[in-house]
Amino acid sequence: MYHFNCIIQEGVIPDDLRPELVSGLVRVTTSVLGGSPGDVDVEFTVMPHGYAFRGGEISTTSTVRGTIPPGCQQETRVQLMQEICDMWMGLTGCSVYELVISARDRE
Amino acid sequence: MPYYRCYVPDDSVPFEKRKEVAKAFTDIHCGSTGAPRNFVHVVFLDSEEADHPTPYYIDGGNRAGRPVEVREKLLSDLKSAFVDITGISSNQLDGRITEGRASWTMEGGHVLPEPGEEGPEWYEHDAVEAAAD
Repeated sequence: MYHFNCIIQEGVIPDDLRPELVSGLVRVTTSVLGGSPGDVDVEFTVMPHGYAFRGGEISTTSTVRGTIPPGCQQETRVQLMQEICDMWMGLTGCSVYELVISARDRE
Repeated sequence: MPYYRCYVPDDSVPFEKRKEVAKAFTDIHCGSTGAPRNFVHVVFLDSEEADHPTPYYIDGGNRAGRPVEVREKLLSDLKSAFVDITGISSNQLDGRITEGRASWTMEGGHVLPEPGEEGPEWYEHDAVEAAAD
Protein backbone atom coordinates (compact mmCIF):
# COMPACT_ATOMS: atom_id res chain seq x y z
CA MET A 1 0.00 0.00 0.00
CA TYR A 2 2.85 2.38 0.83
CA HIS A 3 6.24 2.11 -0.85
CA PHE A 4 9.44 4.01 -0.09
CA ASN A 5 12.64 3.93 -2.13
CA CYS A 6 15.41 5.51 -0.08
CA ILE A 7 18.30 6.62 -2.29
CA ILE A 8 21.34 7.21 -0.10
CA GLN A 9 24.97 8.03 -0.78
CA GLU A 10 27.70 5.50 -0.07
CA GLY A 11 29.36 6.20 3.26
CA VAL A 12 26.90 8.88 4.35
CA ILE A 13 24.33 6.76 6.22
CA PRO A 14 25.79 3.98 8.40
CA ASP A 15 24.45 0.54 7.49
CA ASP A 16 23.37 -0.15 11.05
CA LEU A 17 20.98 2.82 10.95
CA ARG A 18 18.86 1.33 8.22
CA PRO A 19 16.63 -0.81 10.47
CA GLU A 20 15.87 2.26 12.59
CA LEU A 21 15.07 4.28 9.48
CA VAL A 22 12.73 1.53 8.28
CA SER A 23 11.04 1.44 11.67
CA GLY A 24 10.74 5.21 11.60
CA LEU A 25 9.15 5.22 8.16
CA VAL A 26 6.71 2.51 9.22
CA ARG A 27 5.80 4.36 12.41
CA VAL A 28 5.33 7.75 10.77
CA THR A 29 3.41 6.40 7.78
CA THR A 30 0.94 4.31 9.74
CA SER A 31 0.52 7.14 12.25
CA VAL A 32 -0.29 9.75 9.59
CA LEU A 33 -2.01 7.68 6.90
CA GLY A 34 -3.30 4.67 8.83
CA GLY A 35 -2.88 1.01 8.00
CA SER A 36 -0.63 -1.57 9.57
CA PRO A 37 3.17 -2.01 9.55
CA GLY A 38 2.80 -4.74 6.93
CA ASP A 39 1.42 -2.16 4.51
CA VAL A 40 4.74 -0.29 4.41
CA ASP A 41 7.44 -1.48 2.03
CA VAL A 42 10.90 0.13 2.24
CA GLU A 43 13.90 -0.43 -0.02
CA PHE A 44 17.32 1.22 -0.09
CA THR A 45 19.38 2.13 -3.13
CA VAL A 46 22.99 2.97 -2.33
CA MET A 47 24.66 5.31 -4.82
CA PRO A 48 28.39 4.61 -5.13
CA HIS A 49 30.64 7.56 -4.36
CA GLY A 50 31.00 9.79 -7.41
CA TYR A 51 27.82 8.66 -9.12
CA ALA A 52 25.40 11.24 -7.68
CA PHE A 53 25.63 15.00 -7.91
CA ARG A 54 23.64 17.95 -6.64
CA GLY A 55 24.15 21.41 -8.06
CA GLY A 56 27.02 19.95 -10.07
CA GLU A 57 28.93 18.76 -7.00
CA ILE A 58 29.14 15.35 -5.34
CA SER A 59 25.93 14.80 -3.44
CA THR A 60 25.49 13.90 0.20
CA THR A 61 21.72 14.11 -0.14
CA SER A 62 19.36 11.29 0.76
CA THR A 63 16.15 11.01 -1.23
CA VAL A 64 13.09 9.31 0.23
CA ARG A 65 10.72 8.63 -2.65
CA GLY A 66 7.35 7.61 -1.34
CA THR A 67 4.34 6.28 -3.22
CA ILE A 68 0.99 6.44 -1.48
CA PRO A 69 -2.60 5.69 -2.49
CA PRO A 70 -4.28 8.42 -4.55
CA GLY A 71 -6.62 10.86 -2.90
CA CYS A 72 -4.50 12.03 0.01
CA GLN A 73 -5.29 15.58 1.14
CA GLN A 74 -2.37 17.97 0.67
CA GLU A 75 -2.36 18.89 4.35
CA THR A 76 -1.93 15.21 5.27
CA ARG A 77 0.73 14.74 2.60
CA VAL A 78 2.72 17.67 3.99
CA GLN A 79 2.40 16.29 7.52
CA LEU A 80 3.73 12.94 6.31
CA MET A 81 6.71 14.51 4.55
CA GLN A 82 7.47 16.80 7.50
CA GLU A 83 7.39 13.96 10.03
CA ILE A 84 9.62 11.83 7.80
CA CYS A 85 12.00 14.79 7.53
CA ASP A 86 12.13 15.21 11.32
CA MET A 87 12.59 11.47 11.90
CA TRP A 88 15.34 11.12 9.28
CA MET A 89 17.29 14.15 10.48
CA GLY A 90 17.00 13.00 14.09
CA LEU A 91 18.39 9.56 13.33
CA THR A 92 21.07 10.43 10.78
CA GLY A 93 22.15 13.88 11.92
CA CYS A 94 21.94 15.17 8.37
CA SER A 95 21.01 18.78 7.69
CA VAL A 96 17.66 19.77 6.27
CA TYR A 97 19.45 20.57 3.00
CA GLU A 98 20.64 16.97 2.66
CA LEU A 99 17.19 15.45 2.43
CA VAL A 100 14.58 15.33 -0.32
CA ILE A 101 11.26 13.67 0.38
CA SER A 102 8.41 12.99 -1.98
CA ALA A 103 5.00 11.45 -1.43
CA ARG A 104 3.49 10.80 -4.83
CA ASP A 105 0.16 9.28 -5.68
CA ARG A 106 0.42 5.71 -6.87
CA GLU A 107 -0.43 5.53 -10.59
CA MET B 1 13.56 18.03 -8.42
CA PRO B 2 14.74 18.19 -11.09
CA TYR B 3 16.13 14.67 -10.90
CA TYR B 4 18.09 13.44 -13.92
CA ARG B 5 18.94 9.77 -14.11
CA CYS B 6 21.62 9.00 -16.67
CA TYR B 7 21.58 5.32 -17.57
CA VAL B 8 24.97 4.30 -18.95
CA PRO B 9 26.71 0.97 -19.60
CA ASP B 10 28.74 -0.09 -16.58
CA ASP B 11 32.01 1.85 -16.17
CA SER B 12 31.60 3.54 -19.56
CA VAL B 13 31.72 7.12 -18.24
CA PRO B 14 34.66 7.95 -15.94
CA PHE B 15 34.29 10.15 -12.87
CA GLU B 16 35.62 13.36 -14.44
CA LYS B 17 33.16 13.01 -17.32
CA ARG B 18 30.30 12.26 -14.93
CA LYS B 19 31.10 15.41 -12.99
CA GLU B 20 31.33 17.40 -16.20
CA VAL B 21 27.94 16.10 -17.32
CA ALA B 22 26.44 16.94 -13.92
CA LYS B 23 27.76 20.50 -14.08
CA ALA B 24 26.55 20.92 -17.66
CA PHE B 25 23.09 19.60 -16.80
CA THR B 26 22.92 21.98 -13.84
CA ASP B 27 23.96 24.93 -16.02
CA ILE B 28 21.48 23.99 -18.74
CA HIS B 29 18.57 23.38 -16.40
CA CYS B 30 19.11 26.55 -14.38
CA GLY B 31 19.81 28.63 -17.49
CA SER B 32 16.60 27.42 -19.07
CA THR B 33 14.29 27.55 -16.08
CA GLY B 34 15.85 29.91 -13.55
CA ALA B 35 15.67 27.21 -10.88
CA PRO B 36 18.18 27.28 -7.99
CA ARG B 37 21.32 25.25 -8.75
CA ASN B 38 20.91 23.30 -5.54
CA PHE B 39 17.65 21.84 -6.88
CA VAL B 40 19.40 19.92 -9.65
CA HIS B 41 20.18 16.26 -8.98
CA VAL B 42 22.07 14.14 -11.51
CA VAL B 43 22.76 10.46 -10.89
CA PHE B 44 24.39 7.78 -13.03
CA LEU B 45 22.94 4.29 -13.07
CA ASP B 46 23.84 1.06 -14.85
CA SER B 47 21.77 0.76 -18.02
CA GLU B 48 21.44 -2.98 -17.45
CA GLU B 49 19.09 -2.12 -14.57
CA ALA B 50 16.56 -0.61 -16.96
CA ASP B 51 14.89 -1.41 -20.23
CA HIS B 52 15.55 1.50 -22.57
CA PRO B 53 15.76 1.62 -26.38
CA THR B 54 19.34 2.95 -26.37
CA PRO B 55 22.42 2.03 -24.30
CA TYR B 56 22.58 5.58 -22.95
CA TYR B 57 19.38 7.16 -21.68
CA ILE B 58 18.49 10.38 -19.83
CA ASP B 59 15.39 9.99 -17.66
CA GLY B 60 14.48 13.36 -16.21
CA GLY B 61 11.84 14.20 -13.66
CA ASN B 62 10.85 17.87 -13.43
CA ARG B 63 8.24 19.91 -11.68
CA ALA B 64 5.05 20.15 -13.70
CA GLY B 65 3.90 23.38 -15.24
CA ARG B 66 6.40 24.35 -17.92
CA PRO B 67 5.42 24.68 -21.59
CA VAL B 68 6.09 21.68 -23.81
CA GLU B 69 8.53 23.63 -25.96
CA VAL B 70 10.62 24.46 -22.88
CA ARG B 71 10.84 20.78 -21.96
CA GLU B 72 11.70 19.79 -25.52
CA LYS B 73 14.46 22.41 -25.76
CA LEU B 74 15.75 21.37 -22.34
CA LEU B 75 15.97 17.70 -23.31
CA SER B 76 17.60 18.55 -26.63
CA ASP B 77 20.25 20.67 -24.88
CA LEU B 78 20.89 17.97 -22.25
CA LYS B 79 21.36 15.32 -24.94
CA SER B 80 23.72 17.55 -26.91
CA ALA B 81 25.81 18.22 -23.82
CA PHE B 82 25.93 14.54 -22.92
CA VAL B 83 27.10 13.59 -26.42
CA ASP B 84 29.68 16.39 -26.52
CA ILE B 85 31.17 15.50 -23.14
CA THR B 86 31.17 11.71 -23.37
CA GLY B 87 31.99 11.42 -27.05
CA ILE B 88 29.33 8.81 -27.71
CA SER B 89 27.38 8.76 -30.95
CA SER B 90 24.07 10.62 -30.75
CA ASN B 91 22.19 7.55 -31.97
CA GLN B 92 23.27 5.73 -28.80
CA LEU B 93 21.37 8.21 -26.63
CA ASP B 94 17.71 8.89 -26.06
CA GLY B 95 15.76 10.40 -23.21
CA ARG B 96 12.60 11.87 -21.83
CA ILE B 97 11.42 14.36 -19.26
CA THR B 98 8.41 13.50 -17.16
CA GLU B 99 6.69 15.79 -14.71
CA GLY B 100 5.45 15.55 -11.15
CA ARG B 101 3.58 17.96 -8.95
CA ALA B 102 5.82 20.33 -7.02
CA SER B 103 3.52 20.03 -4.02
CA TRP B 104 4.35 16.33 -3.69
CA THR B 105 8.02 16.99 -2.87
CA MET B 106 9.79 18.57 0.09
CA GLU B 107 13.34 19.92 -0.06
CA GLY B 108 15.14 21.88 2.61
CA GLY B 109 12.18 21.28 4.91
CA HIS B 110 9.73 23.07 2.63
CA VAL B 111 7.25 21.93 0.01
CA LEU B 112 8.61 22.83 -3.43
CA PRO B 113 7.16 25.94 -5.04
CA GLU B 114 5.63 25.78 -8.49
CA PRO B 115 8.08 26.55 -11.33
CA GLY B 116 8.78 30.28 -11.49
CA GLU B 117 7.40 30.92 -8.02
CA GLU B 118 10.67 30.37 -6.11
CA GLY B 119 11.16 33.12 -3.57
CA PRO B 120 14.62 34.39 -2.58
CA GLU B 121 14.78 31.90 0.28
CA TRP B 122 15.19 29.08 -2.25
CA TYR B 123 18.41 30.62 -3.51
CA GLU B 124 19.98 31.13 -0.06
CA HIS B 125 21.67 27.74 -0.02
CA ASP B 126 23.15 28.41 -3.46
CA ALA B 127 24.55 31.70 -2.17
CA VAL B 128 26.05 30.04 0.90
CA GLU B 129 27.76 27.40 -1.23
CA ALA B 130 29.02 29.98 -3.71
CA ALA B 131 30.50 32.03 -0.85
CA ALA B 132 32.26 28.95 0.48
CA ASP B 133 33.91 28.22 -2.89
